[in-house]
Formats: sequence, C-alpha cells, structure tokens
Amino acid sequence: MKNLIPFLALLVIAGCSSGGESNTANSSAGNGSTSTESKDKPLVVFSQANSQDPWRKVFDASTKAEADKHASEFTYESQDASGKSETQNNMIETFLVKNPKVMLVSPNDLSVTKAVEKAFDKGVSVILLDRDIEGEKYSYYIGGDNTEIGRQAGKFVGEKLGGKGTVLMIQGIANVTATQNRRDGFLESLNAFPGIKVVLGDDCGFQRQKARAYMESFLQKNEAIDCVYGHNDEMAIGARLAWDAAHPTGKAPMFVGVDGCQKEVVEMIKSGKMDATFQYPTPGAMGIQVAADLLKGNKPKDRRIILPTVLVDKASADKYLADNPNLAN
Amino acid sequence: MRTQAQQRSWISIFQKYQGLVGLIVLLIGAAISVRATFFSAANFANILNQLAVPGLLAVGMTFVILTGGIDLSVGSLIGLLNCVCASWLVAGRSTPATILFVLALGTAVGATIGGLVSVTKMQPFVVTLAAMVSLRGIAYVYTDNGTVSGLGDKLDFLIAPKFGLPFNAWIMVFITMAAICVLSKTVFGRHVYAVGGNPQSARYAGIDLTKIRIGAYAINGLCVAIASLIFTARNTNGAPDAGAGFELDAITAVVVGGTSLVGGFGNIAGTFLGALFIVCLNVLLILKGVNTYVGMGWKGIVILVAVYLQSIGRSTDS
Repeated sequence: MKNLIPFLALLVIAGCSSGGESNTANSSAGNGSTSTESKDKPLVVFSQANSQDPWRKVFDASTKAEADKHASEFTYESQDASGKSETQNNMIETFLVKNPKVMLVSPNDLSVTKAVEKAFDKGVSVILLDRDIEGEKYSYYIGGDNTEIGRQAGKFVGEKLGGKGTVLMIQGIANVTATQNRRDGFLESLNAFPGIKVVLGDDCGFQRQKARAYMESFLQKNEAIDCVYGHNDEMAIGARLAWDAAHPTGKAPMFVGVDGCQKEVVEMIKSGKMDATFQYPTPGAMGIQVAADLLKGNKPKDRRIILPTVLVDKASADKYLADNPNLAN
Repeated sequence: MRTQAQQRSWISIFQKYQGLVGLIVLLIGAAISVRATFFSAANFANILNQLAVPGLLAVGMTFVILTGGIDLSVGSLIGLLNCVCASWLVAGRSTPATILFVLALGTAVGATIGGLVSVTKMQPFVVTLAAMVSLRGIAYVYTDNGTVSGLGDKLDFLIAPKFGLPFNAWIMVFITMAAICVLSKTVFGRHVYAVGGNPQSARYAGIDLTKIRIGAYAINGLCVAIASLIFTARNTNGAPDAGAGFELDAITAVVVGGTSLVGGFGNIAGTFLGALFIVCLNVLLILKGVNTYVGMGWKGIVILVAVYLQSIGRSTDS
C-alpha cells in the first residue's frame, strides 16, 4: 500500500509537468502551428445525443451526406453520446480542445446546457439541432415544431373519428420536451372535439418493444379504443403488433404516429396497417448548410429555423417515398 | 524453479500496477497519434474535470469490493441525490444545508444497503440490484417524472478553477488521499481487507463483520453523494434518469486498477489509475474521432484483459 503513494504523487507531478511541457511545446511551435492551422480547413463538429433510433439514423445519414458535399470547405467530425448527458458533456468539452469553428449539438437533455454555454463563451458558433438548452447561449436553433405536429395530429384524428371516440396516447420519455409538446399540441386540438376522450398511456420511452408490452397489458382491460396515437412511429408500430396478436381478425382502431423516417411505416400506411404519420423533419442537413454559410461569413436571417412537417397518409405515401430517398429501412 | 518464481513475481507486479501500465501504454498511443491536442493544458483540465465523478465513484466502490461485495445501485443513487440536491436548491434552501443533507442521505442509504447485505446474508449483487431498481423509481416519483431545473450557479464553486485546477479535481485528489490513509493506516482499513480476504478467519479473529461491511458501504454512499454534488454542478439540473450505468464505469475502474472482484486484494491508488485510464481512453477516442459504440467494444476488451490477468495471478498463487 504505502509504496503506491509515491506512484500517485509521481503521476500528479507527471501530469502537471506534461501539461506544462506541452504548453511550452505549443508556444514554441506556436508560429508553425498557427500557419499550418490557417492552411488547414476549419473544423466543424457534431455532437449527436444518440444514434439508436431510426429517426436519429436518418438524421445522421442526412447530416453526413450534406457534410460530404462541403468536404472541400471544412473538416467534419461527429460523435454520438449514446443517450447519456454526462457523455455528451465530456464530448463537448473534449471537442473544444480541438478548437472547432462551428459546433452542431443535438442536446441529449437540458443537462448539457453548461457545456454548450462553455463552447458559446469560447466563441464557437453553436447550432442546436432538434432540442433546446436552457437560456440563450447558442447561435442558432434548427428543429421541427413538435407542438404544431401534435396539433395537426390531433386535428387529423378528431376529424377522422368524426368527433367521437376514445384515443389511447402512448407516450415518449416523460422528461423530454418532444413528448410534452406532442402531447400538449394534440390535446389542444382535441379541445375542439369534446366528444373524444383521451387515455394517457405510459411512458414507453419511444421504444417499440416497450409500447408493445404496454399495449398487451392495456388490451387485457378490454376498454374500447378507436385510435392509438403514439408519440413516435416505433411505439405506434409496437402497439399495432400487440393489437394484431390479440385481434387477428376484425376491425382495428386507427393508428397514428409521428416521425415518418422509416420505409416500414410508409409501407404500413400503404397497406392500411397504420393510418397516418407526421414527419418530424431531421435538422442535420440544414445545420451543415448553416455551418457552411457561417464559415463563408453569411449569417442566416433567423436565429431559430423551424422546419415544417408533412402529413403522410394513404393518399400521399407514394409521393413521400419519392421525395425522401434517405428513409431508414 | 527460479524462472517460475520470476514469472510469478512478474505477474504479481504487473497485476498490482496494471492500471499504471495501461495508462502508460495509452499515453504513448496518445503521444503518437494526437500529441498536440491531447497533451495540452486545456485537455489536462478537461481530463481532470471528467475524472471527478467516475473517480469518486470508483474510490467508494473499491471499499465495497475489497470487502468482497459489489454495489450496483450507485448509478441510481447518484440520480436520486442529483434530484434531491436540485430540488432543495430550487426550493430556496441554503447551499450548505443542501450539501450536508445530500452527504448525510448518501451515507445513510449506503449504510442501509451495507446493513441489509450483512444482516440478511443475501448476495450483495442481489441486494444492490434491488436497490438500483428502487432508488431509480424513487427518483422518478420524487421529481414527478420531470427534470428539476433553475438552480442557477449555486454550486458553480465546485467546478470553478482553484489554484490552477478545477475545484472538483482537488476534491477528488483529497478524497483519494484520505481513502488511501483510511485503508492503509487505520484498524478499520486493515479489517476491510481481512473481511474480504477471508471472512471466516476474520470472524475468528474477533472482527465484527457487520460493522465493517456497513462502514464500507457507508463510505461508498458518501463518495456517491460527493460525486452527485459535482455532477449536479456540472449539469445544473436534476434528472431522474441521471447516472444510469455509472456503477459499471466505477466497477470497471476498480477492476482495471487491479482490485480483485473476489475481495481482499487491491488498493485505492490502483483504482485512481484505473479511473484515470478510462477517462483518458474516452477522451482519446473522442479526439481520434472513433465511433462511440466501437469505443464501447474496446472498453469491454480492456475489462476482459484486466480480469484475465488477475485470474492468471490467482492460479499461479495457489
């Protein structure tokens, strides 16, 4: 035991001295490195919250595709925090060591506010994608409007049901704004349809298998439902699978989801297994365009860029597939 | 015979310092591949900032593992304490009162788990697995499924630089030193090794196993509480899902640092190096632009290698 204490001390000293050494190394090589830096392309980094669901996959693919188009203008690097805020905090702070010019961040949740502020204070242009942070310390925000999506979904469901019936809402992660907005917008629209009752379902974490398990239990209650509204397509699909397992024949309720990023969903809409989905647009490609513009010195007009949603139903499914070649399988 | 003895000592030395060996290999790798960015003052501060939370959790976990136990509940406990701390501050309670309460609560939860482990004689794995599930549930109920935000800069002093290093780095160095002293200089420390090494003979030697286990888990709880304060300062909010998976990072640091999961063998200095190794590995992977999931694969391999080296050591010992 005792003889390990010197090792610890040694390490601290080594750490300090190596920090110091590199300082001097940096400053002595200062002129050289700045000249190479100016020759080098500027760096654009992207900190993705996670790449685990299909929507994020399309998000990543479209961001990468757009960045490839600008490969001559800047170097692009991306990292994924696997859904952990602490990982994302560390990632953002580590990115800062590389002195990026523009940082795209899709925050995992509000816990990354401090790290984003640090980047912003350092003079990096911070473009938030899809999710917000607390406060105003960012350069631009690009994302869809979940409340508007909720409103449109509510209006669609209300009209299709003819103002009467019961809707089961399968919810996403409780403490995420997307969940809250997709719920609140939906309920707001349904105020115009007092004959419709909404059953607020569980937090199924935007996951298919959780929604399926929840729906299986829910169906045990034998409550009549006329529509299932999932806060994303994956959960709507999970609920549909549970329904089909319990009711192989007969009339099914309406199934409505949000995201519209998978071919599977569009195919289900075409075959009548789902009734509609509302596209939640991925902001990555626009983020890269804004980054490229910023590097050229062109600032976008609006600080908050809101991407519109698209209704996908049986009538528009084929056109949607043609318009969106990057959909996930 | 002589070569066998030499081999044996080589392995035991390597086991003892495997965290250090790993770290040196990693630093050499960093020196070759990303020298300019990795060995910069900015990155040094960055690494220390990232080290505090996993480092403190690993120090606490070392005590538990040395007694032959394990604690799977630290991730959930940090989540709960994160929510409690944020809620108290948002409710306008004073910062010192909040800090004291969080420290006391963490220690109490740790002691309770230790008590359950030693009184019920259930596997620590099972007891702490149950605690992991319950504490996470409590965190969600406590916050009503929501994130607690708006605590401002009340805890900023914990992460602000002091004497050239972030204050959380000083806290971690202090706790590490204190833990080294407790384990090597006190009767309690020697008893921790004895209980983990051979509980039977420890009991015959008159050691109160219950007390020692409760003490070890309570120290772990205190370390989790300190880590949760730093965590809250960094995240400026309370999230019921915070800290998920942190228990595994802590266990990884302990194992990589050369502490045996069977108990009775290992030390804090090794754990410190293990934690430092993992943080440096994370930073290096980000700087190199390695995909997160590929990085997770590599971390798994590192754990396997570390545990395998220990098992060779055990078979040569016997």
